[in-house]
Amino acid sequence: MRLPFQVSLALLLTAFISAALPAGPARAEVRYKRSVERYQIPDVVLINQDGKKVRIASLVNSGDPVIVDFIYGTCTTICPVLSAGMVNLQRRLGPLSQKVRMISITIDPEHDSPKILKDYLKRYRAQPGWDFLTGSRADIDAVMKAFNAYIPDKMSHYPINLIRDPRDGSWVRIFGLMSSKEFLAEYQRVATPSVSGGKP
Amino acid sequence: MSCYRLARLKALRLGSLLLALLLLLSAGNGWGATVLPSGLPQAELIRLGERMYRDGILPSGASMPAFIRGDVEVDSTAFSCSSCHLRAGLGSFEGGVVTPPTNGVKLYQSYRRPPSLDDIPDQAGRYIYAKTVVERPAYNRETLASAMRFGVDPAGQIFNDVMPRYPLSDRDMSILIDYLELLSSEPSPGATSKEFRFATIITDDVSPEDRRALLLPLQKFIDQKNQQLGMYQKFIKFGYSPTTEMKYAFRQASLDIWELKGAPETWPAQLAAYYDKKPVFAVLGGISNGDWRPIHDFCEGQRLPCLFPITDFPVVSETGWYTYYFNKGYFQEGEAVARYLNREESLPAEGEMLQIVEDSPQGKALADGFRQTWAELERPALTTLTLSPRELADRKALDKILSKYRPRVLLLWADAAVLPELPALMGQLPADAKVFLSSGYLGEKSAAVPESVRGKVYLSYPYRLTPFVGPKDGGYDAKVPILTTAKDFGDRRITSRSTTMLRQVALRGLNLLYDNLYREHLFDLMGMQMDLTVRDYERFSFGPGQRYVSKGCYIIQLGPGADPALLPRSEWVMH
Repeated sequence: MRLPFQVSLALLLTAFISAALPAGPARAEVRYKRSVERYQIPDVVLINQDGKKVRIASLVNSGDPVIVDFIYGTCTTICPVLSAGMVNLQRRLGPLSQKVRMISITIDPEHDSPKILKDYLKRYRAQPGWDFLTGSRADIDAVMKAFNAYIPDKMSHYPINLIRDPRDGSWVRIFGLMSSKEFLAEYQRVATPSVSGGKP
Repeated sequence: MSCYRLARLKALRLGSLLLALLLLLSAGNGWGATVLPSGLPQAELIRLGERMYRDGILPSGASMPAFIRGDVEVDSTAFSCSSCHLRAGLGSFEGGVVTPPTNGVKLYQSYRRPPSLDDIPDQAGRYIYAKTVVERPAYNRETLASAMRFGVDPAGQIFNDVMPRYPLSDRDMSILIDYLELLSSEPSPGATSKEFRFATIITDDVSPEDRRALLLPLQKFIDQKNQQLGMYQKFIKFGYSPTTEMKYAFRQASLDIWELKGAPETWPAQLAAYYDKKPVFAVLGGISNGDWRPIHDFCEGQRLPCLFPITDFPVVSETGWYTYYFNKGYFQEGEAVARYLNREESLPAEGEMLQIVEDSPQGKALADGFRQTWAELERPALTTLTLSPRELADRKALDKILSKYRPRVLLLWADAAVLPELPALMGQLPADAKVFLSSGYLGEKSAAVPESVRGKVYLSYPYRLTPFVGPKDGGYDAKVPILTTAKDFGDRRITSRSTTMLRQVALRGLNLLYDNLYREHLFDLMGMQMDLTVRDYERFSFGPGQRYVSKGCYIIQLGPGADPALLPRSEWVMH
């Protein structure tokens, strides 16, 4: 796809400024924190955007990479960025996006009904393969705790992406916000059997 | 040395190179040149600018292009300016990210943001992911355009990556900047640096007891505000230095009572007359036994906040903005029954389910809640019979209906008059039948469900079941355990709920306004509140655009006896 002139120009200038000010005082020096973890997923049943019950432990136990994040439907800051990352990864992967299972889990289960989840995915133009789950507060708390991502209130959340390596069931834990390129690279590290860089 | 000074030095080092590039670009494309006002009439400007700001849609109707994290393309219709900077443009604080103000008044002044998690290099082993600019000089139209296009402030500091970059045309940029200059530029009516004017609304169908129950906490709230102002003024007189919070927390407050009389169709004119005579900043509470819609619509039209009226007939809408409700009233009870049944493993076919609706506002609201939710759950519509109170009292006619349909699930949205006949009526149903009733509609008679059928009768119950420590007037001075029991049936909880609204919700929002006396900002602040545990409901939860703060409703059964235990058969919130 050919980018409009103004878009190209903006990206060019952004790239220039980014390169020219690599360690500016107002710029975060670390873009995100990466670690590899092992998690015991609780055997709880959540509900997807179609109102269907799903067993989270079965859902993540896939032969393909699995990406999990925690967001909510009316979030004003982090969640839209995380979700834009998800949908951009789907776009970049094209037909291969069917080879990755994306799971967003709401941290506002009181408000986020399946209908709200469905509308959210539609708003972001999500492709099949990206599910958004709700459920009881107790079950969602259990899942958050299992991923060491528990927060008592949605207003104090933080950005985490968890990427499951299908080869050994380990999880790459990413704290912070990734660019599309970084997200793709992280996905490829667990998706490509020949690449042996999954464990730093 | 402050970050701002460091950044300026950095900017100076790179200034010549950057300037050369900007000049080159501006020569070729017009960027960096003077951003002239759009020249549009104000109404058109607000229409187009608001659409860009709130909905991410360009004047052409296309989506605003935007990029975050350098290369993540975002659809602005999903992620607009107001998603983070909020409707009033005063910014937000959420998830450790401080989003700075973006209205012209603030942009054209130098700015130093409040402290945030970002100021700590590493928090509990977590890297800081959202470092935002701490301090910056004032913008002008040109530097503002550069900020939106390239993510650089007037001191050369680069924005956090979560702020999208918008490659807008000169014309579109001009409209957006014009809009930002208008956004939150004048305090809303009814508020000054010295005074808040409030009103409450009471319709003429409200009993004197209910009226008193509403006005008691409201008058107390106003009296306390004014008393605290007097104390504060004495502190200042004696040389006390107030904190920022204190400086803005004390204002004179007044409360007008807007009495609405006669037919609801005449209410908008009555409300307009009250408002025109003396505009208020917000409506605190209010009470009506009828449909709240005329008042809701008036507040939407005036962009007037209406905070937590006592009504069982709120407007159920996904787009209503200016009225905060406790919950969806009767509608929410019908909704809960639909969700409960949807989860039943051995749910009979729709043909074996029947909904009988009393032809009354309560019956219709309950049925609406059920029908709408049932349809959302993609279930086929149930057979629904709407009967007048007279038809419901006709035992033979009811027997005939029930023997014809023999439903295994009966939704009976009727008042307590039907209760004495319930055992006989249920004799017409299959042995495993279940009957669903509304505790809101049955009121204090809910506990009079005959004991012989309690095993098959389920009630929707939209209030707290677990113990709460606090006095019954909703205040929090004494520690008195409250155990919810059948005695609570029929309690309209007017004083307790209004006190909760004032002390736990509205006051926080009002105090956090500081000198930003904009109604939209009040909603933005209230939407960012953390969840609350309150006396009458299990939980209040907030969020931008969420307008029904109590989302739950139990399905319960009754234990034995005249003062039966309430036995939960569902969680507070069901999906």
